[in-house]
Amino acid sequence: MRLPSPFQPLRRATLAAALGAAIALPAAAQQRPIEIQMWMGLTGQGGELLTRFGEDFNKTQNEYRVVVSFKGQYPEQRAAAVAAFRAGNPPHIMQMFDAGSGDMMQAKGAVVPVSEVFKRAGLQFNPADFIAPARGYYGLPNGDLLSMPFNVSTTVLFYNKDAFRKAGLDPNKPPQTWPQLIDAAKKIRSTNAAACGYTTTWMAWVMLEQFASRHNIAFGTQGNGRGGLDASLQLANNKVLERQLQTLVDMQKDKSFDYGGRSNDAAAKFISGECAMLTQSSGGLGAITQGAKFEFGTAQLPHWPDVKGAPYATTIGGASLWVFNAPNRSQAEFRGVAQFLNFLRSDKVMTEWAKTTGFLPATNSAFKAMQDEGFFAKNPGRDVPILSLINAAKGENTNGYRFGRWTEIRDVFHEEVEKALQGAQTPADALRNTERRGNALLRAFERTAG
Amino acid sequence: MQRRVVFPHKLLPWLLLAPQLAVTLVFFYWPGGQALYMSVLQQDAFGTSVQFVGLENFRAVFADEGYVAAFWRTLYFSAAVTLLAMVPALLLAVMADRIVRGATAYTTAMLIPYAIAPAVAGVLWLFMFNPSIGVLAWWLKALGVDWNPTLDGSDAMWLVILASAWKQVAYNFLFFLAGLQSIPKSLLEAAAIDGARPMRRFWTIIFPLLSPTTFFLLVVGLVYAFFDTFGVISAVTQGGPAAATETLVYKVYKDGVHNLDLGGSAAQSVVLMVMVVALTILQFRFVERRVHYG
Repeated sequence: MRLPSPFQPLRRATLAAALGAAIALPAAAQQRPIEIQMWMGLTGQGGELLTRFGEDFNKTQNEYRVVVSFKGQYPEQRAAAVAAFRAGNPPHIMQMFDAGSGDMMQAKGAVVPVSEVFKRAGLQFNPADFIAPARGYYGLPNGDLLSMPFNVSTTVLFYNKDAFRKAGLDPNKPPQTWPQLIDAAKKIRSTNAAACGYTTTWMAWVMLEQFASRHNIAFGTQGNGRGGLDASLQLANNKVLERQLQTLVDMQKDKSFDYGGRSNDAAAKFISGECAMLTQSSGGLGAITQGAKFEFGTAQLPHWPDVKGAPYATTIGGASLWVFNAPNRSQAEFRGVAQFLNFLRSDKVMTEWAKTTGFLPATNSAFKAMQDEGFFAKNPGRDVPILSLINAAKGENTNGYRFGRWTEIRDVFHEEVEKALQGAQTPADALRNTERRGNALLRAFERTAG
Repeated sequence: MQRRVVFPHKLLPWLLLAPQLAVTLVFFYWPGGQALYMSVLQQDAFGTSVQFVGLENFRAVFADEGYVAAFWRTLYFSAAVTLLAMVPALLLAVMADRIVRGATAYTTAMLIPYAIAPAVAGVLWLFMFNPSIGVLAWWLKALGVDWNPTLDGSDAMWLVILASAWKQVAYNFLFFLAGLQSIPKSLLEAAAIDGARPMRRFWTIIFPLLSPTTFFLLVVGLVYAFFDTFGVISAVTQGGPAAATETLVYKVYKDGVHNLDLGGSAAQSVVLMVMVVALTILQFRFVERRVHYG
């Protein structure tokens, strides 16, 4: 039983004894804490930790009660939230992955920018507190943040040091370029150190979005869609991308690369020891640490040395927290949302989150706190995503993209690349088809969003 | 001479029918009507901008190169699932029908798969045939088969066909067994006395007398394969690789739930609805003629 805060000092003994349960109960029922619903798309370690953060927040105050619940993977959760919004009762906060951002940004009236949420609640909020790549990705042109970055990640290369030793490769010298990775993978195959040399999760995220940023090449017009809704994809005749896909197609033949499926599925191929190298979200570290029965190392996403200026910075992945609007939502509820978000971005929460999961700290101060206590020095490899995301060179195409219906376009890319890997079409065709089909989706999005 | 039973009461029949009618209205006509209505609209995911577009969604569906391919794929998939679910079921039912002791235990064991949700069934098969960790995939590789459903389209197709059919075998088995047990023993005994061997008895007596059951299961099986299998596909292949397992119903699910293209998804489900109605009418017109109701 929670009592309203003005009675707090009286709470335990005096009030209950003097008034008795019969009188205290109705008073408490009137002033029950306001419930704040948060939906997340994480399972496992990350999901458990985020749920605990909700409980921790509830212990710090009596006015609000946060309920964190898992509603399926990001796409399912998004569908559920959309249905709930249409029914007039969306969750207060929704965690949405990077690719869904373009859609969310157009959902005017459905979301309230987090900068606005903090302002209304009278809480200090400076977007500059967040790390620059996240700020750029989730921000508005005026600098305000639309959503609050929470689990920030980027692509890294995990490699199996035991397999490297077995193949006669130096386990302390991970490949830095694609030619080096190809050589290592071929050697792993020819010495049979592993059944497959290299595989990747999230094909579109890694091979299109991250790869393009690493080489500072555009894959769409208007600054990769950031300039407006009428932007289009530009993939056909992109020689750097085409060579990369051709490389994968060639490597697939002798299993120096082995395609491991869409989304996260390929991680299992690395953890089981089948593949010796894996490109994966840095947030995948937890699962690898738990599951891998071999020594592994972390390195940055490889690049092609003949591309001018490369390597450039990779971009962010992961997810951010969006605040929903609804007709019946009170100002008090928005204040509760702001307070909980404020709790989540505190150094204490952010550092625990980043240390446990392998995601990056989303705020500069949390990052500094981790540096000051020597976390990165004590945990070799954990600075790799930061070096790749923050310290590497920036170009005009390293700020991420912003396209609507992007989850769908990612799947179009998957389909077309799978066809190329099957040998049913050339990589050039795969890029051309992705561009054509993707642009049709972008035009449809432009119509409904406009 | 036929005797007609006449109910003088006007209201009572409606009252008695009311629960069934309510269920049909709420769970069939209402969503069906919604699908029709949404198929002529175009809207953003949140429903904040809605516009009437007439038949444009349908034109987009038929102009989609992937759609026609998905149609043929669905026919192939449905035929394979229905066949693979019926033939083993009939075989097992004939065997079970001959068991004297322990028949109940055997029958119960056969029925368990039907109680498993499609997505769970899909995951079970996915584990067994997963190229990295699956037991059966390991056996296949030991036999020299290059098994790789993550990249090979036909491997993936067979995986979803098997997973979808397996579940339905139990259901078909139950109906076949009931059908077999209702065939008069005297007919079979008479045939045996006349010198008909088991195979001949099966084809000339059992199979024709089972035809109402077979026909019923054919209709139900096709409807199952057309409509109920997206859970399996979603769990096993997500329609991939390269759309090799993207059937019509999975496409409806993907475009509606994942891609939030409600107009396009609604138009596809209307097309699918028309298709299944047509298929069922065809079956009743042509196949049912050959059915012998005892």
